Amino acid sequence: MSAALELVAQSDTHPTIARLLDRLYAAISFEEGAEPDWAALRDLFSKHARITRITPEGIDYLSPEAFLDMTHSLFEMGAYTSFYEFELQRRVDQFGNTAQVWSAYETRRNLHAHEALGRGLNSIQLICDGDSWRVLGLLWDETNANPELDVARTFAARTVVARTVVAKDEIGG
Amino acid sequence: MAKSRSFFSRGRKVQATERMVTEVESRGLIMHRAGSGDGGEWVIDGRPMLNFGSCSYLGLERHPALLAGAQAALHEFGSNFSISRTYLECPLYEALESALGRVMDRHVVVAPSTTMGHLAALPVIIGDRDLVVVDQFAHASVHMATELIDDVPIELLRHNRTDLLEQKLIEAGDKYERVWYLCDGLYSMLGDFAPFEALSALLARYPRLHLYVDDAHAMSWTGRHGRGAALTHLGHSDRVVVAVSLSKAFGATGGAIALPSAELRAKIRRCGGPLMFSGPIPPAALGAAVASAELHLSPELETIQAELSERVSFVRNELDRRQISLATDEATPIFMIHYDSIPVACSVVSTLRERGIFCCLSAFPAVPINKPSIRFTVSRHNSMADLQTLVDNLAETSAAVSGTSAQSRRHRSTQVLAELETSAAE
Repeated sequence: MSAALELVAQSDTHPTIARLLDRLYAAISFEEGAEPDWAALRDLFSKHARITRITPEGIDYLSPEAFLDMTHSLFEMGAYTSFYEFELQRRVDQFGNTAQVWSAYETRRNLHAHEALGRGLNSIQLICDGDSWRVLGLLWDETNANPELDVARTFAARTVVARTVVAKDEIGG
Repeated sequence: MAKSRSFFSRGRKVQATERMVTEVESRGLIMHRAGSGDGGEWVIDGRPMLNFGSCSYLGLERHPALLAGAQAALHEFGSNFSISRTYLECPLYEALESALGRVMDRHVVVAPSTTMGHLAALPVIIGDRDLVVVDQFAHASVHMATELIDDVPIELLRHNRTDLLEQKLIEAGDKYERVWYLCDGLYSMLGDFAPFEALSALLARYPRLHLYVDDAHAMSWTGRHGRGAALTHLGHSDRVVVAVSLSKAFGATGGAIALPSAELRAKIRRCGGPLMFSGPIPPAALGAAVASAELHLSPELETIQAELSERVSFVRNELDRRQISLATDEATPIFMIHYDSIPVACSVVSTLRERGIFCCLSAFPAVPINKPSIRFTVSRHNSMADLQTLVDNLAETSAAVSGTSAQSRRHRSTQVLAELETSAAE
C-alpha cells in the first residue's frame, strides 16, 4: 500500500480544502435582493470541471460555464429570490494533489429560515493545480434528497465502508 | 443583448411542472370541483367551506344588474354569436368598449380574455427595432405572449427593480427605437403593486421607455370608476398600455386593452390575431359586462369599493395584531404568507381545509422555490364574521406550525447529536 494514501474523516485536518468548500457554499448562497457570487463561483471551479446533477427529469452533465448559465437562468426567471446552502458534515479523502469529498448539505429558503428545503450529499472531487485547490467535479442527486435525510446515519455507513477498503488495501500492500 | 429564454427545454419544463403539480394534487390540495355555493361559501369535496380563493373581489358576479344584463343579452342574441368579429360583431361590443372607454379614459379594445388581449396586442405594438424587458414575476400570460415577439431581444428583470431597469435604459441608449417594460400593476401571487412612482419618474426621464402593464387583478376594486392601479398612477402618459380583466373584480368575462390613441386601438382591432381568428365573447357575458361597465360609472361603485376596503383593512390589521407576517404590506385583497418548506405550507392549507376554510397553496412555479406559501383573497362575499373566523384560524394554525417546527427541530438536533456520539464511540 502506498504510504501517501491518507483517509481522514475530520475536515479540520484539511484547512485549505475546508476553506475552499466554505467558499463554495457561501458563493452559491444569497439573501433576498442579492445574488450568487458569480465571480467566486467561476474562480472555484477548474476550467476542466464537470458538474453533474441527477433530477427527476434527467441528468445534467455541465461544464462550469453551462452550470453558471443554468444557475443564472434559474435566478433570472425568479426560481429563487434567496437561497442558503450550508454543510452539515464533511468527509475528506485526500491523496496528494487529489481529494474526494462527501459533503452533506442542507438548503434553506434563506439564512433565517428554520426548516430545511432539502438535504442531501454532494460528491466533490478536488484537484490542486499548482498552488490552489479547485473543484474538478461536483455531483449531486436531487431525486434522493429530502429535508428529513438522516445525515449522521448516512455518514456512519460510509465510514464503515471506507474502513473496510483501507483494511483490504493494507492486506494487499 | 438578447438572452436565452430559458436554460431548460420546453419538454423538460413540462415534465417538471407535471411532477410538481401531480405531487400537490396527490396531497388533495388542488384540482377540486365545486358543488353548490354562493361565492362566500362553496361545497367543496362534499363539505361546505368558506371561500377565500375568489378573484371576484367585489362580488359583482351576483349583482342583480349584471344578472339582468346577461339574461337580456341571452334572450336577444342567443347562447352565442358565432362569427369572427372581423366580419360581423355583436352590437354589445360597441356598447361595452364605449362604456369601458369612459371607465378608463382611454381607447379600449375588448378581447375574450386578458391572455387573448396580450396575444392580440403585444405583436402589434412591439416594433421590429424595440427592446423588451419583462419583470420576472409578470403574469404567466404576459410571458406566454412574449413567445410571439421573440424576433426582438427580450430580457428578464428582477422583480420591481427599477434601478436595474434604468441601467438597461442607459445601456440601450439609442440602439433601440423603444424600450418596452412589461409588468403587472398588481402581482397576482405576492399581492404587491408595481413601483408606480419610480416608473413614472423613469417615463419622464427616458422618452424611449414605454410600459405595458397587466392590471388584471387591480381592475374595478381600485381607482376612479374602478379603472385600476396602473391607469390611476400612470394614466397621464401616452406611453403606457394597460391590459385589464373583465373576469375578476369586474364580475363578467373577458379582457380589455386600454390604449392611448384611437389609431393604436384600430390597429390592434384589425391585426390582433385572436381578435380576427378566435371566437367572440358570448352575448350573455357581453350583456353582463356592459351592465358592469355602467355600474362602474355610477356612484354605487364607490360604496362597493369601500365595502371591500373595509374588509381588507380588517384582515390586515388583525393579522398584524397577531404578528402574522404577510408577503407585502400593500392594502390589496390578495394575501400571501410564506413558509419555510412545502410540507409546512401544505400542512397549513390542509389544516385550514379541515376547519372549513378554503385557502390556496402557492408553490413553484407559481412562486419562487424558496417561497412556498399560502395565498388567500378577501372579497365582498366574505362577511365580517367569516373574516374573523379566517384570522382566528390562521393565528391558531400558524402558532401550531411554529410549535411543531420548533419541536421537530429540537428532536432532529438531539437525534443527530446522539448518533454522532454513538458513531464516534464506535
